[in-house]
Formats: sequence, C-alpha cells, structure tokens
Amino acid sequence: MSEKSGVANMGLEGIMLMSLVMTFIVDYVTGNPWIALLAAMGTAGVIGLVFAFFALRVRMDQIALGLAIYLFGLGFSFIVFNTAYPSGLFPNYVSLPPIYSGWGTVPYLGTIFLKLDVMAYVSIALVVLTAIFLNRTSLGLRVRAVGENPKAADNMGVNVNKVRLFAILFGALMFGVAGSYFAGNFVPGFQTNIIAGRGFIVLAMIYFANWKPYPTLFAALSFNLVYALQNEYISIAGSTVASVSTLFNMLPYVFLLALIPVFGRKARAPKFLLKPYRKG
Amino acid sequence: MLEDTQGLRWLRATAYNVLAVGLGILAGLAVVAYAGGNVGVALSSLFLDPITSSGGIQQIFVLFVMFYSMGLGIGLALKAGLWNIGTQGQLLAGMVMVFVVYLYLAFLPWPVLYVAMILGAAIGGLLWIAVPTILRVKFGANEIVVTILLNVVAINFGFYMLSGPIKSPGTALGFPITTVLPAKFQIPNIVGSVPITYAVPATIAIGIVLYFLVERTPFRVKANTVGESPETARYAGISIPRVMTLTMLAAGALAGLAGATYLMGYRYELDIGSFSTNYGLVAIIVALVGRKHMLGIGIAAFFFAYIAYGAEAMALAVNVPTYVVFAMEGVMMIGILMSAYFERRGAI
Repeated sequence: MSEKSGVANMGLEGIMLMSLVMTFIVDYVTGNPWIALLAAMGTAGVIGLVFAFFALRVRMDQIALGLAIYLFGLGFSFIVFNTAYPSGLFPNYVSLPPIYSGWGTVPYLGTIFLKLDVMAYVSIALVVLTAIFLNRTSLGLRVRAVGENPKAADNMGVNVNKVRLFAILFGALMFGVAGSYFAGNFVPGFQTNIIAGRGFIVLAMIYFANWKPYPTLFAALSFNLVYALQNEYISIAGSTVASVSTLFNMLPYVFLLALIPVFGRKARAPKFLLKPYRKG
Repeated sequence: MLEDTQGLRWLRATAYNVLAVGLGILAGLAVVAYAGGNVGVALSSLFLDPITSSGGIQQIFVLFVMFYSMGLGIGLALKAGLWNIGTQGQLLAGMVMVFVVYLYLAFLPWPVLYVAMILGAAIGGLLWIAVPTILRVKFGANEIVVTILLNVVAINFGFYMLSGPIKSPGTALGFPITTVLPAKFQIPNIVGSVPITYAVPATIAIGIVLYFLVERTPFRVKANTVGESPETARYAGISIPRVMTLTMLAAGALAGLAGATYLMGYRYELDIGSFSTNYGLVAIIVALVGRKHMLGIGIAAFFFAYIAYGAEAMALAVNVPTYVVFAMEGVMMIGILMSAYFERRGAI
C-alpha cells in the first residue's frame, strides 16, 4: 500500500520486531491482548512517523533509511526485551481468542476454520477493505496517482507528501498488527531476529502480486502453502532425511524465484517508487 | 568568507559524518544506561579495547578486509543504480566454495589448490549473484527482491552443505562443522606474530585498482549514466545490460573473496556461527558512508571495523547484549544520510 504511493519501507522488519516486543510487554502488564495490539500499533505508528519525516522532508534514500530502521529495530527490540525480562524467560502470554462460532459443527471445514483466530479473519477483511479503498474511493485514487505520476497529481491539486505520509502511516500500522500477531500466535516466545526475513519476503510478494491487494493475499497464501508442505514433508519423513531437510527449507524461496520469469514480465512497479518528490 | 573549495567541502562532509557517528555512539550509551550498565566503562572499552588487545587488532583488520571488499562490490553496483542487498548470501557462497574446492579438488598440488580456493570463493559469490543479474537484465526483475530472497536460500544451502558434502568426517555424529584448514592453506601474517595478514594489502590493492578503473576511465561516465538516467544512457549508445552485468558480477565476486579472507585468514573452519553474522548489512552502510567512492569505502570500512569491534567489547564489558551494536549502527546510518542532505542544501 505505501509502495503504491511511491514509498518503499524496507524498515518493516524493524517495525515488526519493535511492535512485537511492545505486544509482549503490554500484554504481560495488562493481561489484555487487545490493549497490547493497540500499543503495538502505536509503536509502529511512531516509527512510521519517523520514517515519513526522513523520507519525505529530508528526502533520504528510502532503501538506505529502511535498512537503518531495520538495524535499529533489530538491536533495540532485543535490548528492550532483555531488559524487561533479563532471565530470557518467556512471560505468560494471553493470546487473542479464536473464533468459536457455528463452524465447529461443519465437518472438515469446521476444524480448519475453528483453528484460525480472529486475526486471520481480520487480515482477510483488511485485504478486501484495502482493495476497495484503493480502487473505489477518491483518496485511494490519489494514493495511486501520487505513486504513478506525482507531477500530474500535484498539478491536480493533490498534496503529494501528505498522501504519502498517510500511506506510510497506514503501512506502518499494518506492520504493527503483523508484528503483534507474530507475538502470540505464530511464535510463542522471543528470540533475537524472530521475524527472520519474513518481512523481506513480503516485499517480494508485493512484487509478484503486481502491487495489487488481492493477488498479494494469493501470493501470501501460496507461499505459505509451499512452506507448510515442506515442513510437513520433513516431519513425515523424519530423521532419515534430516540432512536434506535444509534443502527443502529453500523450496519456498526457490518457488518464488522460479515465478519471476513467469510473472515478472507483467509486473510493473508504480512509476515513481523510491523517487522523492520536490514541488516545483 | 572562505571560498567553497573542494577541500573545504570535504572537510565539512567529514565533520558532519563524525557528528553522525557521535550521535550513534550517544545512542549506544543511552541504551547502555537504559539497560543498567556503567557508561564510563562502556565508553573506555568502546575506544580503547580495540587497540589495547592483540585480539582486537586482529579482528579489526579481519573485519576491515571483509567490509572493504564487500563495500567495494556494493558501491560498484550502486554506481550503476543497482542495489545489491544480497552481499551476505554471496559471502556465504564464497565461504562454502572455499571448502568445496579444498575437499573436491584435493588432488591438485599445493600452490595451485591454494589459488584455486581463493578463486573458487570469488566464483561462488559470482554464481550467487548471477541469478539476480540474469533475472534483472533478461526479465527486468527487481534486484533488491531477488538478492534478499537469495540470502535466505544461501543460509539454508550452507546448512545443507555443512551437514553433508563438506562436513568434517572426524566430528561427532550430526555436528555440522568442517575440518580445520592446515597451516599451509592459511593466509600468513606479514610480520611474524603481528596479526595482520597479507589479505590487508591485497584488498587495498584491489581498491586502488578499482579506483583507477572506475573513477579515472570512461567507465565512470558509463556507470553513472546508467545509474542516474537510463534514458540518456540508451541515447548515448551505452549498453545498459553490459554495464549492469559487469558491475553486478564484480560485486558478487568481491563478496565471495571476502568469504575467502574470513575463512583462510581468520576462522580456518566453517560452522553455523559463520552463517548468522550480519556483515553483509554493515557492508551496505560502509558503501553508503564511503559515498560509493572506491577509496572512501576503504576509510569507512576501517572505521566501521573499529566501531563494530569496539561496540562488541563495550557490550561485553558492561554486560549488555551485543545487539546494541545494531541499534548504534542504525542511528549512525540515519545521521550519515542526514549529513548528505545538509550537504546538498549547502547548509553547513
């Protein structure tokens, strides 16, 4: 989304890490996962503001800036966690409730949907909302215009940097949600660099999805399908293939790479991605 | 009023960079204080530990060689407008190749095998970057995305190689580590026991050669044109694919070489610990701080080698996780980017 407006945020891993730690701490203190989620989004929003200031006002190189924020987040998140829990022990975590609805009575499907918690549904809803927003509202149109041709957008009376600020903030809040989600439901416990490149994978997915919300959902699902398949295969095959299991770990990524010649030709980045805009 | 000479501008830029680094150090000290460490002890170990211990001097030069070599590659690609975020992957590919050559071409006589191991590392890095290069030149795929993906692939590939094809037969069952390189396959020190190897002058020589090639020949114009304005380059009849391919492949080979210097000049064996380093990322900062200048990158590399070791020593001295180094480097990087901005505006 923020890339649509011509801004790439490479710092998303750092933001995810910071909001993840925030989730842990607030969740532990308050015992309420929803407040923790809000705190995580707040943290992410603040970092998003910092990013926006440097990217838009100072017109820094966005990739370099993103890496800087990533490094900072990587280091600082660990320090914060370590200071809060010097023993390195994982605090009690109250996770978001799964949805218990009528699904339970439906055979097969029920077991699948029962396992998904609120966030899985929320994220799908967010994809739909983002798509509607980008394609159907006038503000969404402006976001796209700013990414494709800031000059023209400016002439039409659109405040380029304001729109980009909005997009960066929205993106940062989403990273916050993602980081927070990681905290409880994906990896119970904190390790250094817990996100381990997953944030960067997202950048690749957006690329394959041609910067469109629905294909992004599809890309995310198919990547994780391959990921889950290889995990499953390793656990089934057991120790006999222990030494080649690392080879299978590469599969999801190779899968993505193999798609490039297929989809890459069609992929078209927003024209002014990475290009700071100066009025006049 | 002082005249705006080149020397003066250089002085200003340096002053600003020093300020940025100072900011980073301040941030680091703030973190130390926050985590309950002694700031005075932290400060003295940050600056003094690297030069007072022989281990520190060794580490600084090992890191300097790696940062310089990788930074040169990143700087080269940047000149052509390409972001090589995959230095870490190319470094690992180079390290793995050292042992592949060592074990599988062992029939070669000693001096030939020695050279083959070093060349093998360069070829490993080159092959690793060939994928994003082909995808970029032939299919127009974003090189940032592909190089990042290949970093993850490199780690897994390295694990696989370690747990099978290049594993030491002598170790306990399932423990993934290679054999130790015998002394005649190590890069020797220049003077007796002073822990500075021949890799240091060799890397500086590469930097100087690249400086003349890149800054003093028509190639400079070509690369800059491709990087800043592809349309102009096309109009001027410069072959964009050729410039891109050349710079990218050179970047990969340089990162691979860095892997050879690390293994043959310092570690002598490869284990999982070598995979979880972050040298590739720091090299990106080094290339940016050096302003893509082949000699400037050398100065930046030395500086960051010093800081990287000093900050680690500091973290150990005051019992703060070494992750503080990353936070410091992040702040420094933002500060240095800021200084570039002020320079553009001529506000200093």
